[in-house]
Amino acid sequence: MIKVENLSKSFGAIKALDNISFEIPKGKITIFAGADGAGKSTLFKILIGLLKKDKGKIFVDGEISENNSEKLRKIAGYMPERFSLYQDLTVEENFDFFGEVYGVEKPRKKEMKKTLLEKTGMAAFRKRRAGALSGGMKQKLALSTILLSSPELIILDEPTTGVDPLSRIEFFNIIEELKNEGRTILISTPYLDEAEKGGFVVLMKGGKILKQQELKELKESFTPKLFRLTPSENIFKIMKKLVKDSNIREKFYIRGNFIHYLHTGEKDFSVYIPHSESIEIPPKLEDIYIYYERIFKGKEGDIN
Amino acid sequence: MSENIIEVKGLTKKYGDFTAVNSINFNIKRGEILTLLGPNGAGKTTTIKMITGLLKISSGKIFLNGKDTTDTPDEIKKISGYMSQKFSLYPLLTPLENVEFFAGISGLKSKEIKEKKSELKKIVPENLLKIKVESLPPGVKQKIALFSALLSKPDILFLDEPTSGVDPEVRRDFWFEIYELKATGKTILVSTHNLDEVEFSDRVIILHRGEIILSGEPEKLLKEYNTNSFEGIFKEVIAENEKA
Repeated sequence: MIKVENLSKSFGAIKALDNISFEIPKGKITIFAGADGAGKSTLFKILIGLLKKDKGKIFVDGEISENNSEKLRKIAGYMPERFSLYQDLTVEENFDFFGEVYGVEKPRKKEMKKTLLEKTGMAAFRKRRAGALSGGMKQKLALSTILLSSPELIILDEPTTGVDPLSRIEFFNIIEELKNEGRTILISTPYLDEAEKGGFVVLMKGGKILKQQELKELKESFTPKLFRLTPSENIFKIMKKLVKDSNIREKFYIRGNFIHYLHTGEKDFSVYIPHSESIEIPPKLEDIYIYYERIFKGKEGDIN
Repeated sequence: MSENIIEVKGLTKKYGDFTAVNSINFNIKRGEILTLLGPNGAGKTTTIKMITGLLKISSGKIFLNGKDTTDTPDEIKKISGYMSQKFSLYPLLTPLENVEFFAGISGLKSKEIKEKKSELKKIVPENLLKIKVESLPPGVKQKIALFSALLSKPDILFLDEPTSGVDPEVRRDFWFEIYELKATGKTILVSTHNLDEVEFSDRVIILHRGEIILSGEPEKLLKEYNTNSFEGIFKEVIAENEKA
């Protein structure tokens, strides 16, 4: 649906986006995952036309999008990291206001309002001032208002940062429904466990893309194996050994009472840890991210 | 010394008719990493504030090392350190100034403050020491926040959303440090929104609507609920509690 070629953007000496290329599949949830400073917000702002790119090309449905992303803007609903609601207006009044901004016709607006309030579980709060809503509900209201224009593309910049786990779960249930309606959804997040909810993932770091793939393929094609070791020696004694040698320490990390080991090459480093049991467990996206990040640091340019 | 560093009995906080924390009982074992988990408004922050003496309790008792300190909350405050990834540093001060400030209020002598400042130079790159904290990368901020929280040599460390927005590898390094602190006998209480972070701790307590609805060791809970992530458990227990 969207294709981006060699996109770059700098702020002074900082390369916010460094020659990135990617393609976003239609009708899927694509998640851009990376820490603060990875370039996620800059990328979204360029896509939606809020920021000018330095160079690169953006295609929408095969057509080049030049004039300030006009085509994209028409089909997209965008929720910035710090979204805006009218705090003094009620939930319903916010709906009416944004409906008018988007030029939604009256009968349609009425119907949409009803559907969206029900879908997001906000029907009971229609008379409440937006300012008096919890963080999770504000986020749902903000999402609902952008849905008023029935966008086929939804771009959400860190919608769940600082939102509590329950609201996050509910939020992703709504997103899943939107996907099932055939919409294309772009979400950025600093949480890698959240990226596990995407169909397609783009792992970002310092303005570059470490890896982009269908989540399922990404996991299936990941050859290193993750083992959970049950240490047979005091875990702190083992840690002391690890601290002495940073090359070896890199191979392991602690999770509660266990030590995780990612077996990447030919040599089996698990022998460094005296253990009574070793079980292979499925790697999480975090293991995959760190693996590619390290390869990236070692031999830049070798990854696509 | 008792196994529990802190015991909480019937802890309650009321705001008028609203009960934020409803007669909860739990212990914090010496040297453990305990995670408090729950939606907003579940009572996590209220609980932590009551334990650390920042908020007056409505009823209940708090014991430190077996001694009733309900009426002398300063005793726990004195042995506590507090770190939050987003809020615990002064953004307009440099790393060195922050450390100087926190060392000062922690009652360190000027010789010790000097030592701490040179220790900081070992963990923060030289070129970053004299710029405002607000412009530092999140991983560096996190290091300084933890360093500052430890200046008073606390026995108990409270970590409030300690890793939000940081790199996966930085988070891993951070937790390695936390395990090192645990190795030195420190007790660690974590409050987090990251469900996947629960597995780092020895025990987890899930709060909902001011009550404890589940507690236990993460590994055992995952087995019991036959799942590989905490999200499933969390959803299930909250849904059950909402029905009740």
